[in-house]
Amino acid sequence: MFSMASSTLEITVISGEDIRNNRKPVKKNAFAVIRTDSQPLCRTEMDKDGGSYPYWNEKHNVEIPQHARFITVEVQCKTSAGDKTLGMARIPVSDFVGGFVPQSYLHFLSYRLRNSNGERNGIINVSVKAKVPEYAASSCSSTATTIGVPFGKTPCYGGVVPGVPVGVPIMKQYYQG
Amino acid sequence: MGNCFSDVQGGKQAVGGVQRKPTAATTMTHNDAVDFFYRSQGFQQLFTQIELSLSAFNLCDRDITSKSDPMAVVYAKKIDGKLDELGRTEVVLNSLNPTWIEKVTVAFHFEIMQPLVFHVYDIDTKYYNVPVKTLKLEDQDFLGEATCVLSEIVTKQSRSLTLNLHGKSRHTGLRNLGVLTIHAEELVASRSAVEMILRCSYLDNKDLFSKSDPFLKVSRIVESGGSIPICKTEVVNNNLNPTWKPLCMSMQQFGSKENPLIIECFDFNSSGNHVLIGKLQKSVADLEKLHKGRSGASLTLTSHHGHEKVLKGQLFVDQFFEKEQYSFLDYISSGFELNFMVAVDFTASNGNPRNPDSLHYIDPSGRLNSYQKAIIDVGEVIQFYDSDKRFPAWGFGGRTSDGTISHCFNLNGSAGSFEAEGVEGIMTAYASALHNVALAGPTLFGQVINTAAQTAGQSLSYNSNKYFVLLIITDGVLTDLQETKDALVKASDLPLSILIVGVGGADFGQMEVLDADNGQRLESSTGRVATHDIVQFVSMRDVHGGRISVVQALLEELPGQFLTYMRRRDIKPRPLHVAQTSG
Repeated sequence: MFSMASSTLEITVISGEDIRNNRKPVKKNAFAVIRTDSQPLCRTEMDKDGGSYPYWNEKHNVEIPQHARFITVEVQCKTSAGDKTLGMARIPVSDFVGGFVPQSYLHFLSYRLRNSNGERNGIINVSVKAKVPEYAASSCSSTATTIGVPFGKTPCYGGVVPGVPVGVPIMKQYYQG
Repeated sequence: MGNCFSDVQGGKQAVGGVQRKPTAATTMTHNDAVDFFYRSQGFQQLFTQIELSLSAFNLCDRDITSKSDPMAVVYAKKIDGKLDELGRTEVVLNSLNPTWIEKVTVAFHFEIMQPLVFHVYDIDTKYYNVPVKTLKLEDQDFLGEATCVLSEIVTKQSRSLTLNLHGKSRHTGLRNLGVLTIHAEELVASRSAVEMILRCSYLDNKDLFSKSDPFLKVSRIVESGGSIPICKTEVVNNNLNPTWKPLCMSMQQFGSKENPLIIECFDFNSSGNHVLIGKLQKSVADLEKLHKGRSGASLTLTSHHGHEKVLKGQLFVDQFFEKEQYSFLDYISSGFELNFMVAVDFTASNGNPRNPDSLHYIDPSGRLNSYQKAIIDVGEVIQFYDSDKRFPAWGFGGRTSDGTISHCFNLNGSAGSFEAEGVEGIMTAYASALHNVALAGPTLFGQVINTAAQTAGQSLSYNSNKYFVLLIITDGVLTDLQETKDALVKASDLPLSILIVGVGGADFGQMEVLDADNGQRLESSTGRVATHDIVQFVSMRDVHGGRISVVQALLEELPGQFLTYMRRRDIKPRPLHVAQTSG
C-alpha cells in the first residue's frame, strides 16, 4: 500500500429510491451529503423534480484520511425549519478499497438508508473509484510488464472509463491500458 | 445512463369505474418494484435477428458442358434430427465460386443451441426460369453439406465461419467438395435507441381529495388498428405537473421514427382501474420536433359522443437524444467472453452415490443423472462463448481425502488448479470426485460464491473482456442464507452472474428469495444492497414436464445481466481491426 496521508476518491452520487419524511414520500428538494467522521466532504444540488426518487448523478473528488474506515452518506431535504436528515448509510472503505479487483475499479454500490430511529428509509446509489496518484501509476506501469505481480501488490493497469451523465451522448472509445 | 422501461405484458387497461385513491404503500410498492424491474431488464430483447450471407469456393463441377449453377439452402436442425428449411439463396449461373446475394434471416436465441445445416445444389438448366421457392430439391444435383451451430458464427471476431462441404453420408467425404463461408450480421435496427425525458403540465385532476398520480403509457399502432404497449413510466404521486424519469425505447420497439405512437396519461389507482387523464398521437419524429421547438402538445379526450375535446394539459419533451446501443452480439463478436464455472452439491442429503435412488447415481447404461444433465445442458450452450474452454469446477459440502469437510473443493481433486478441460472435463472430474469424496454437509453457498467472485475480480487486473457465469447445482436447503446473501451482494458489483439449479424434491423457498425476479433487492447484513440482480434460480422438477428446458429458463436473462454490467460502466465493444475469415 502507498504511504499517503489521504486518499483521493471520485464519488458519483447517482440517485435515491423511495425517500420519505415521516413516512410520507419526499416531494422535492432532496440532496445528499458525503462525510467522514463528522466533517462534510461535499454535497449535491437539490433535486427539485425527482421527489422521493431523486436523481443527482453528480461526480465529486474528495480526500479521505488514510485511517478512515467508513464514509457516510446522508440524504437530507430543506424544510422550513432548516435542513433535515432523512436517512443515513455507512459505506465501509473496504467495499471499494482492497479486495481482488484493480485499485482503480469503478464500483457501483447501493446501501439501505436508515432514519434517526433506525427505521429503513429507501436506498442510496453511488459509484466510487479510488484515484491512483501519478507517481504510483507510473510505478505500476513498470510492473505491468513483469510476469507475475509480487504478492501483496495490487496491479492497477487497466481500469474503466466512468459512466457519462445523462443527456450527454458522448461516444467514447473503450481503452484498455 | 438512463433507465429503460418496457411493458410488453401490459394489456388493455380498464378505464372508468369507481375512482379510488391509491394508498401510499401501494404506490410505493408499485414504483419501487417497477423501477428496479426496469433497471434489471436493461434493453432486454426477446430475440435478435441475424442475417446470414453465404459464399462458396471450389465447388465440385457437375456440368459437362459448363460450370455448375449453385444454390444454397439453410435448415434448422430440430431436436428430433429433422431439418426445418429457413431460406434459400438465388441461383448463381455458371460459377464454382459463388457469392450469393440473397440473405437468410435467422432468429438468434442465446439460451438455446441452434444447429444449422447447409445444403448446396447444382440447379439443372431447364429450371432456370422457375422461382427458387418452387424448385424440388430432389430433382437437382446435390453438391455438398455443412453443419455448425449459430453461436459458432456470431462469436467469431469476423462474424464469419468457413466450413468444408462433405457428402450426405460421411463415408464419401474423402472427396474435396469445396468450402462454404457463412457471414452473420445482426440487423442494424436493433442497435438504435431513443432516450427522452417527458413532462406534463396542467393535467386534469382526477382525485377528489388529492391530486392525480399520473403515469404515461406508450403504445405502437399496428396495421390491424389495435395498439401494442411498448413501455410506461413510473407513477409520480400527487402531481399535476410531473416530470418522469428518462424513458428509453429501441427502434425494435417503435418500428420507425415515423410510426405513429399513442401516448396515454393515466391517474394510477391501486385497484388497477386507472383513469385516463388524456392522450395524444405522435411519432418519435414528432416528439423530436417538440423538443427542438421547445413546444408542448395538447392532450385530448374523446367524449361519449365521439367528439375529441382538447384539454388544458400539455406534454413536453424536455430531453431527446438518439444513441447507438451496442447489443450483446456486438460485445461477443469483438472478443468479449462468457466464462463458465460450476459448483456441485456433495451433501449427504443427495443419498449414497452407489444407490440407484441417489441423486448422484452414475447409471451404467449411460443415462444422465440430474447433476450431469444440468452441467451438459448449460455447458453445451455456454462453451461457445469461451475461447480456451477451461472451466473452474468446485464441489461443496463433501469430506475430502484429508478428512475435512470442505465447502469449496476442486472437483478435479487437485490442490492447486481448479480448472477442467471442456464440458467433458467437468463430467470426468465430477464422476471422479464421487469416488474420492464422501458426502457430508451442511449446505453452504457462501464460500463457492466468494471464490467465484475472487476469480472474477482478479480477472479484471489482466483484461476486462471476461464475464463469469457460475452454475450452482444443489438438492437442499441452505444453512448459511445470510452469508449467501452477503456474498451475493458483494459479488453484484463484479462481472458475474449466478445460476442455481435445484434437483430432487426439497422445498426451494429460500432459492426464490435469492432470485430477484420478485423485485426485492437482496440486502446484506451490513445494509449494503445488491447493485443489480445477478441470480437466476430454476428447479429441475418445475421444468421437467414443460416444453421449456432448464437451460432456457436459466440462460435467457444472462445477456441482459451482461449488458447491465457493461453499459453501466460505459464499456464498449472493441473496434474491429482486421476483417478476417477463420474457421
